[in-house]
Amino acid sequence: MGSLFRSEPMCLAQLFLQSGTAYECLSALGEKGLVQFRDLNQNVSSFQRKFVGEVKRCEELERILAYLVQEINRADIPLPEGETSPPAPPLKQVLEMQEQLQKLEVELREVTKNKEKLRKNLLELIEYTHMLRVTKTFVKRNVEFEPTYEEFPPLERESLLDYNSMQRLGAKLGFVSGLIQQGKVEAFEKMLWRVCKGYTIVTYAELDEPLEDPETGEVIKWYVFLISFWGEQIGHKVKKICDCYHCHVYPYPNTAEERREIQEGLNTRIQDLYTVLHKTEDYLRQVLCKAAESVYSRVIQVKKMKAIYHMLNMCSFDVTNKCLIAEVWCPEADLHNLRRALEDGSIMRMFFNGRYILLLMGLFSVYTGLIYNDCFSKSVNLFGSGWNVSAMYSSSHSLGEQKEMVLWNDSVVRHNKVLQLDPSIPGVFQGPYPLGIDPIWNLATNRLTFLNSFKMKMSVILGIIHMTFGVVLGIFNHLHFRKKFNIYLVSIPELLFMLCIFGYLIFMIIYKWLVFSAETSRVAPSILIEFINMFLFPASETKGLYTGQEHVQRLLLVITALSVPVLFLGKPLFLWWLHNGRSCFGVSRSGYTLIRKDSEEEVSLLGSQDIEEGNRQMDDGCREMTCEEFNFGEILMTQAIHSIEYCLGCISNTASYLRLWALSLAHAQLSDVLWAMLMRVGLRVDTTYGVLLLLPVIALFAVLTIFILLIMEGLSAFLHAIRLHWVEFQNKFYVGAGTKFVPFSFSLLASKFSNDDLA
Amino acid sequence: MLECAELYFNVDHGYLEGLVRGCKAGLLTKQDYINLVQCETLEDLKIHLQTTDYGNFLANQTNPLTVSKIDTEMRKKLCREFEYFRNHSLEPLSTFFTYMTCNYMIDNVILLMNGALQKKSVKEIMSKCHPLGRFTEMEAVNIAETPSDLFNAILVETPLAPFFHDCMSENTLDELNIELLRNKLYKSYLEAFYKFCKNHGDVTAEIMCPILEFEADRRAFIITLNSFGTELSKDDRETLYPRCGKLYPEGLRLLAQAEDFEQMKRVAEHYGEYKPLFEAVGDRNGGKTLEDVFYEHEVQMNVLAFNRQFHYGVFYAYTKLKEQEMRNIVWIAECISQRHRTKINSYIPIL
Repeated sequence: MGSLFRSEPMCLAQLFLQSGTAYECLSALGEKGLVQFRDLNQNVSSFQRKFVGEVKRCEELERILAYLVQEINRADIPLPEGETSPPAPPLKQVLEMQEQLQKLEVELREVTKNKEKLRKNLLELIEYTHMLRVTKTFVKRNVEFEPTYEEFPPLERESLLDYNSMQRLGAKLGFVSGLIQQGKVEAFEKMLWRVCKGYTIVTYAELDEPLEDPETGEVIKWYVFLISFWGEQIGHKVKKICDCYHCHVYPYPNTAEERREIQEGLNTRIQDLYTVLHKTEDYLRQVLCKAAESVYSRVIQVKKMKAIYHMLNMCSFDVTNKCLIAEVWCPEADLHNLRRALEDGSIMRMFFNGRYILLLMGLFSVYTGLIYNDCFSKSVNLFGSGWNVSAMYSSSHSLGEQKEMVLWNDSVVRHNKVLQLDPSIPGVFQGPYPLGIDPIWNLATNRLTFLNSFKMKMSVILGIIHMTFGVVLGIFNHLHFRKKFNIYLVSIPELLFMLCIFGYLIFMIIYKWLVFSAETSRVAPSILIEFINMFLFPASETKGLYTGQEHVQRLLLVITALSVPVLFLGKPLFLWWLHNGRSCFGVSRSGYTLIRKDSEEEVSLLGSQDIEEGNRQMDDGCREMTCEEFNFGEILMTQAIHSIEYCLGCISNTASYLRLWALSLAHAQLSDVLWAMLMRVGLRVDTTYGVLLLLPVIALFAVLTIFILLIMEGLSAFLHAIRLHWVEFQNKFYVGAGTKFVPFSFSLLASKFSNDDLA
Repeated sequence: MLECAELYFNVDHGYLEGLVRGCKAGLLTKQDYINLVQCETLEDLKIHLQTTDYGNFLANQTNPLTVSKIDTEMRKKLCREFEYFRNHSLEPLSTFFTYMTCNYMIDNVILLMNGALQKKSVKEIMSKCHPLGRFTEMEAVNIAETPSDLFNAILVETPLAPFFHDCMSENTLDELNIELLRNKLYKSYLEAFYKFCKNHGDVTAEIMCPILEFEADRRAFIITLNSFGTELSKDDRETLYPRCGKLYPEGLRLLAQAEDFEQMKRVAEHYGEYKPLFEAVGDRNGGKTLEDVFYEHEVQMNVLAFNRQFHYGVFYAYTKLKEQEMRNIVWIAECISQRHRTKINSYIPIL
């Protein structure tokens, strides 16, 4: 449990690992995750370390596995994700695994390459057939309608696609036809127009079905185009433009017979290719399915192996080269576990469940129910009320007494809506109720006023005690870290500040409770006014709680005012003085070398140096500056921020404790509402069928009570309590500093294998 | 435009600025370079790069590793980042990005035309083109025979079109004319970019204008240096100088008259910014070249651009810094693979 309050004490251990078994030892350690390795080879760059070859081998394996996973995903084969995490592979198996994987990769690459080639071929052939089919309609349409290209001279238009007649004219008519991606059509046409100055005719039509791109494998919409042009020069340009827009150009058949022949040839070839491709894909799938079975455990195994070698790279070799020396940080409490892990052992886990907290909360709420005398908003009269109403009537008193006191008679009772019991009349108040609030208050109309004032005071008292306790805990911190000056310069001023203002408030509350009785209650001064006057020094004298109050309050104010500058400046000035006065102190520390000692301070120093060394790698050189330099400004700023936070916090945090009252009020009102709206309605029905109504009403009442009063209110009480601990209480002492322990543990490796992870 | 970017910049561009600053934090540090230089083989280089922000970008490359593979993968990575920025940008930042790519587009067009002149296949040259400057019409560039042809037929609808206004000529595209075309295009590009940043105003102008001024002047110096001993006349030379730098107008006039390096240096000495740069240039026996000095100065300006917030310059600066880093890595990788270790340290560290 000690670790709940303080950072875990750590110890620096040196592990001597036989080079033969180091791998197995680290594998066992990684499964446990007990220790954090120190890098003993910081000056050695990553590629000069001992096990760099093994790391490279792991990377090679990872590359192959990534390729496998990629192929398996592409083939849509589900990857079985085992729940167990297989241990790092024994060294003997690694070579075998590597050979297997390499063989698999070679085979797979070959098959995939073949498949891709076949598929590309097939796609091209399919494109070709589509092109032939579509361009046929171009020719027909042009012949039938002879339309659309007005910019051409009529002579050429007539025999637009009559190759022979064009030859007669001396110009060579050429065709380029192919497929182009949908998005590029417009730009393509524009560029053709600009480059060829209109000596081309472009006809194109959208292909009704989207086709796969042989290069990228994307399924997109295509356009089939046919360009007719005159002259070699322009032909070259057209071809270049087609290349530029990545068109798939296919030879254009000049005659109908040629077209038919090509089409037939294509059809048979497509048939052949389909069968071959199908067989290849089947085979590929078989190979991949087999690979998919083991790929998950292999990925994990290789990751673990790589992690082990990374850790081994942090160890140094001893002189004889037979031993690896590792330096590790380990929680002191886990040392025996560490020993056992190296000899193969297991850890028992402690479980701490929340059910005890719930039980305690329940017990406490029963207790508060008794104190407030409130059970489902009904009070329970256990001991008999201390108030006696009949004593208020004039008939119960002697005549002499009747004259001095305001008593009730029949006419008073009949004509007044609200009457107040007067505790100063003998017999009316017979002494306090033995436990909690007197049940008679539940009948009174000023019940809320009374309870609110009571609960508010209770909240403030509890809050201030809580916070003062927090400040006192801070003193233990300073003692633990051997910073006595902090007690005098921080904790005591803080305590004084808190107690002189709010401690005094509590004193006034309790003093008023004790000193003023029923008889004197009419002359009792208001605490609120008194407290305000403490700061305002009003000209008009109030009566005050006690004699000499004014002087006491002045004294307290002076103490408060004095503690503030001490809080602000004390610690920075002291540290400054310490720094200037004993500058030799720092030098003796700077000559520190890595010698292992058992004292706690030395170990903590070691840790800090460790961190600094880590930093040095990142922003080199700055370390010398930050380590030794005494930064007065920074300390002053930190202290100022802390002080402001504390002083303002005293006020706002005290107010924050009023949530105790608010929650109590809300809870009481809710239970009251539930009672009045449900149970009372149900109980009032007094016919014989009332029972029938009462049953569902009770059910509803029970459900609402459980969900609203128990679960919802319980949760909110829990949350607010946590908040009060966290914010108001802990900011008085809790630092939460320390170094994060990052143990070497396989469980921290990303266990899921997604594509991102591997690729 | 309203002169207070603090108020509205983050609405449109805050996300991207945050992103680019994060990317900048991933640039290689001095320590990284020290480690890279110690590498014995390209495999070692790969392993070290894995510990940096490059991550396992080479993981899927089969052995053996070559410098060009590393270069392509690095370019791809930069390109991915840039495309991401560009796809998520709003106006006017997207126009700014378009201006940034024009630079590479010009280079690609010129590269393709040179390739066509030497009768190389388009595919071969396409692989050498910078991916940031890719555009569809690019491959058809070799159809054109004259600059006006090039403009009218091919580039009229690309972002490069506005830069053609003073290089429409009917000269055939031989090697010299292509070089002239490149410089003229670059000149009008720089001037247009400069005008865009100036008109945008605010922090963007304050950051970008000095960077572009330096770029313009650097080009002027380099053009002058390269024209010594060629048939380029002094008047022609002057028409190639971008007129948006600090040298304009007096310095450019003087530069046009310069006949050797010493005269050029004398011109530079009139300018406070360039005097120390020319003084840092070593003589023939060793020391830094003028190019390296310019690169160093550029890196410095780009790093400083990150000191201000709410401007577009960070995107420009990041891309340029990343390019410099890629040049450094390629340089180191070349030195390693050619076993030519003596010059391995003449990379230009960034951070």
